[in-house]
Amino acid sequence: MDAADRPAVVIDNGTGYTKIGFAGNVEPCFIIPTVVAVNESFSKDSRGSGKGNWLAQHNAGVMADLDFFIGDEALTRCRSSSVYNLSYPIQHGQVDNWDSMERFWQQCIFNYLRCEPEDHYFLLTESPLTPPENREYTGEIMFETFNVPGLYIGVQPVLALAAGYTTSKCEMTGVVVDVGHGATHIVPVAEGYVIGGSIKSFPIAGRDVTLFIQQLLQERGEHMPPEESFEVARRVKEMFCYTSSDILKEYGKHDREPSKYIKHWTGIKPKTGAPYNCDVGYERFLGPEIFFNPEIYSSDFNTPLPTVVDSCIQSSAIDTRRALYKNIVLSGGTTMIKDFHKRLQRDVKKIVDARTDASDARHGGDVKSKPVEVNVVSHPIQSFAVWFGGSVLACTPEFYSACHTKAEYEEYGGSICRANPVFKGMY
Amino acid sequence: MILLPSPSRFLLQILQSRLQNPEKAVELDCHSVEFDDVRYHIQFSVKNPQSMLLSVSLPTPPPEIVFFSGLPFGAIEAIKGAYGVLVQILDPPKDGYNLTMKLNLSKLPPDEEQRHALLVKIASVREVVLGAPIRIILKHLASRKVAPDLDRLVALVHRPNESFFLVPQAEKVTIVYPMRFKDSVDVVLATSFLQEFVEARRTAGLNNAPPCQWSSSPPMDLREAPPHSVTANAGFVTFVIFPRHVEGRKLDRVVWSLLTFHAYVSYHVKCSEGFMHTRMRRRVESLIQVLDRAKPEVEKPKKSSPRRSFKRLSLKDARANSNS
Repeated sequence: MDAADRPAVVIDNGTGYTKIGFAGNVEPCFIIPTVVAVNESFSKDSRGSGKGNWLAQHNAGVMADLDFFIGDEALTRCRSSSVYNLSYPIQHGQVDNWDSMERFWQQCIFNYLRCEPEDHYFLLTESPLTPPENREYTGEIMFETFNVPGLYIGVQPVLALAAGYTTSKCEMTGVVVDVGHGATHIVPVAEGYVIGGSIKSFPIAGRDVTLFIQQLLQERGEHMPPEESFEVARRVKEMFCYTSSDILKEYGKHDREPSKYIKHWTGIKPKTGAPYNCDVGYERFLGPEIFFNPEIYSSDFNTPLPTVVDSCIQSSAIDTRRALYKNIVLSGGTTMIKDFHKRLQRDVKKIVDARTDASDARHGGDVKSKPVEVNVVSHPIQSFAVWFGGSVLACTPEFYSACHTKAEYEEYGGSICRANPVFKGMY
Repeated sequence: MILLPSPSRFLLQILQSRLQNPEKAVELDCHSVEFDDVRYHIQFSVKNPQSMLLSVSLPTPPPEIVFFSGLPFGAIEAIKGAYGVLVQILDPPKDGYNLTMKLNLSKLPPDEEQRHALLVKIASVREVVLGAPIRIILKHLASRKVAPDLDRLVALVHRPNESFFLVPQAEKVTIVYPMRFKDSVDVVLATSFLQEFVEARRTAGLNNAPPCQWSSSPPMDLREAPPHSVTANAGFVTFVIFPRHVEGRKLDRVVWSLLTFHAYVSYHVKCSEGFMHTRMRRRVESLIQVLDRAKPEVEKPKKSSPRRSFKRLSLKDARANSNS
């Protein structure tokens, strides 16, 4: 049986969560936090013992190499014992620590999917602003260490757009608003090609929402153990947050009917085992608000997300703009916050309408411009849309011819992965 | 992780999430592929949320092995024995699969611990089906008699078109693995790994472990094996299992470890490759640091602001210039 007859393995490494699974499935097999728990104690001990004892040093190194965990297991291990240190291999959408990343992939493949990497084609993803060196590095690890027969590195926003690709609707033009855990990018895509010059990034992402909620909770003096507070804030974000249409009204609603709007969070302190509970009030809508009014969170950045989306579309080629406004696609876990798409659509529409009205007024009412259709597309699989797009893509017969193969790698080396064809089209 | 765990993490996760919210009837249709071409296909329908259709496809057997209606010897009995009332084997199986089972999840035991044990058992369906023949032989060994209906040399499938061999005797069972690897680097690493493996067996702490040998040529036990199956590019590994190794509860682990020995070696070969790369990267980084230190200090030309090179105009001159 040839490797092309087996389903390809699709791995979408995000800053917060990694989605792994097989092509052809609707859902990823596993969604696990992108984190590695490494046991540092071995390497520290061996360094102290001096040069002469190289065997002990070597053995310690070997043990340290084997003694690590990933995902949820890593988090629980780290909580229960102090010998493990957490390492987050991806920071702001870019691979930061290649050693941890390699270990992470190794466990994903052998422990989670339990497949033989030689038998499957692989589809990995990267954020749109990845430097070519990182792509080369990825190719090197995949081909050298794991001996994969073929590798395709997809660009996350393009895959997110492909997730909406069905037989009835073949739309590969749109703006992808990808709000992940560590990075937010706004990427215009025309006919499947990324418009490289117009990619905008936004310094606020899911992690910042969590930090902001944590700060609000702490400032109000809610009783929660400090070591748990980030985790509590994250759960609060995932369970209770929603996007409001108007903050002032929302404050009013909360004040009038606190019983209806204020939620409670109960947990158990990990050290003492005593239960605690805290109230969740304004942060339910203030957390997501930082995308629309960034000045309440950060002092050096105050352009709201809808404005950035608009300026991104305005900077792309004029003939694509209408199509781009018509198809604003959301992806990433943070966009799952309730009513996020409605608010974004309303705000972008407002900016666009203001502009058309102004231009109509300038022309003195003789010429009426055709109204611009603004449409924010939202679907329930947003949180793993990138993975799903990868799964769809890897099912097509063209996928296998688009892959970099092992033979190519052996002939030319890592440079085959350097350029990504999706960026080539529009220049 | 040193040993590969027997239950499939994916199957176990699906089963557990199903049981946590049983009233949520969602359709599910997914597939998964494991090492050595074992495929799973899992189906849940909305109409009947408590029953799960699990199809398993096994690696294609080499010509010397006969499957009984698509399954290894004794597999059907093993499935019935392991899952009891829970399971109903559908005949014929789904197209492209060797086995299709209908599992009725409403018949799971109510006790939390038993239920979990049974779920783990379902997730280790690979061990149950593929390990059935080896389990029978080892059971006979535990009770110290040779199975009457088996040949002297038994071939069992463990990888697509590849088999390993068992020589059952009254006092011991000899197991021979021809080790084959595709990649030339893997062959070298695996050969030295296996030699180390045999060496490690001799350390004092492992006196009770099964004796093991490695040789580059086929051992004598394989005289009767078909010639195409005794070619191996990474040598042959022989284990001798004594009755004390398969007593009581040890049996399950022995069956699984023997069944996945090749996968185990291949996993560790891949890991060592990864670790070597990590080391090499670290070394290169440290060498680059040394090189950087050796660079002679470049005398930096004193930075002067470009404006200085121009003659400064006084405010008055500037105005005069702009007006002209």
